[in-house]
Amino acid sequence: MKLPHLPTRTLLAAAIALAAGQACAQTTTEAELARKLDQLASELAAVKAQLAQMQQQKAAAPAPPPAMAAAPSAPVAAAPQSPATVITSYGELNYNRPTKRSQDAQADVRRFVLGYQHRFDEKTKVVTELEVEHAVSSASDKGEVEVEQAYVERQLTPTYALRAGLFLMPVGLLNENHEPTAFYGVERNFVETAIIPSTWREGGVQLVGSFDNGLTVQGGLTTGFDLTKWDATSGEGKESPLGSIHQEMSLAKSHDLAVFGAVNWRGVPGLLLGGSLFTGQATQGQAVGKGRVTLWDLHARWTPGRWDLSALYTRGTISNTAVLNATLVGNPTLIPKSFDGYYVQGAYKVWSHEDYALSPFVRFEQYNTARSYADLGPGLTPDAARSERVITLGANFQVAQGIVVKADYQRFRENADLNRVNLGLGWSF
Amino acid sequence: MRLVVAAAAVFAATAPTSAFAVDYLSAEQAAKLMFPDADAFDVRNVALDAAQLQQLDAQGIRGRSANWQVRVARRAGAALGFVITDEVIGKVELISYAVGIALDGSVKQVEILSYRESHGFEIRLPAWRRQFVGKGIGAALRVGEDIANISGATLSCTHVTDGVRRIVAVLALARRNGGLA
Repeated sequence: MKLPHLPTRTLLAAAIALAAGQACAQTTTEAELARKLDQLASELAAVKAQLAQMQQQKAAAPAPPPAMAAAPSAPVAAAPQSPATVITSYGELNYNRPTKRSQDAQADVRRFVLGYQHRFDEKTKVVTELEVEHAVSSASDKGEVEVEQAYVERQLTPTYALRAGLFLMPVGLLNENHEPTAFYGVERNFVETAIIPSTWREGGVQLVGSFDNGLTVQGGLTTGFDLTKWDATSGEGKESPLGSIHQEMSLAKSHDLAVFGAVNWRGVPGLLLGGSLFTGQATQGQAVGKGRVTLWDLHARWTPGRWDLSALYTRGTISNTAVLNATLVGNPTLIPKSFDGYYVQGAYKVWSHEDYALSPFVRFEQYNTARSYADLGPGLTPDAARSERVITLGANFQVAQGIVVKADYQRFRENADLNRVNLGLGWSF
Repeated sequence: MRLVVAAAAVFAATAPTSAFAVDYLSAEQAAKLMFPDADAFDVRNVALDAAQLQQLDAQGIRGRSANWQVRVARRAGAALGFVITDEVIGKVELISYAVGIALDGSVKQVEILSYRESHGFEIRLPAWRRQFVGKGIGAALRVGEDIANISGATLSCTHVTDGVRRIVAVLALARRNGGLA
């Protein structure tokens, strides 16, 4: 083994001592010789100690040695520290082309999101996301700029963490994992946009418990919906009843608060079973009657080997809609009493090479944004909507970890004019 | 508010069993856990040169680091196996983990030393980590192949799995070169 460079002073001292010892040996007594030998031995011990210290320093240095070597040593350099602040982003660029109405084809920067996570200490961090929808937001454009997440999380114990601020609701499979690389298909599924709003967030406090049996339990107190902004003249409420009255913590009316809870179990590798419940009054003290919005879901996902199978059912209700609709009668969109939907989806990774992965999928979904209306009397009660059924057939192609290209075809059973081909590019990091 | 109280009762009823803080084990504790019969852990540094990193690359494994620290578990001087600790990024945070390798080159045990992400703590669960046991250089060791994903924690699963595959390959390379007893 090549010796490291020793300090010149140490080598000189050793050499002088050695030379002195040799010279003296010719002229001094044996006792003096023994003394010199002792002195040499102590010098050698000092050199050894310095050598050991230098070896430790060398082991801690980051520069790689020229060739493979395995040698006993002191611990290598400490592992890299996680940076306190991390920039995150995701984006979706979509192209939709209706097959029967190609004049409606659109290309859109659907979402461009920038966020950061900053860790104040080992147990405390802030998580934020700022989103621009449809590329341009101005008085004459349809785009929106939104704060999608802005919360502080404090790890109270290894099991419990507390979040406060604006956070995504732990509902369904998509809402908390909505990046384009995390779901199949160019567009988010209809059930988790029309019935469960997407991306649904509320302001409040949330306790998260992560247990060693695979259970994650979340619950808290948040802002809720605002039924007073229901627009009976537009079709928005038919597209997504809750999407049309969510507040997104934008000057959110907070007379009425809501509670929520979610339980997810991942105790078996590849399996997720879960459900959630949200309920809260939603007239915010500003309407004649009260109306409670309740939404629940059950979901499952199973990923054995190359398969990725999932299913979800969700149902929402709004109470006291007979009273709330009394002043809206005659308008095209009254407040539904109930709405629901489900989907089943299967994907299979047919090919992969390094980071490339091709995963065709098929999804069947059925949803009804107005499953029932409260009785308003003969001739006044709207008919329940017909359930829409959509089959989506397509593929996700992972180009690199964090980049996905998607293509699919969607066929609508009720409104065939909506049949379309979709192409998408997405990233997430 | 009754619902909040009920939720609190549910939390209280589900007794946690893990230790305090997001740091669950030290590297030394993990090594002792993996090789309880060992009476000594001989710490060695393995350094890969450019050619060896290329060799890993040819196997589809990004070497990432040229320097690796290996704990050789010994009993009465005889090697029982090896322990390597490493860190990968989950989604945005570092995950520290340790891999125990048996003398036949297969994974003996995987332990998560610390986990900081808001989601995906389930990679700590024994059931998920057990998937690696017995898999060696010939195994795919890939999420979506022989390692099942955890829904909502895809990046953590993928990056830890990639890390284990890398460690298995690095150790095999080091042993082929006679660097480790």
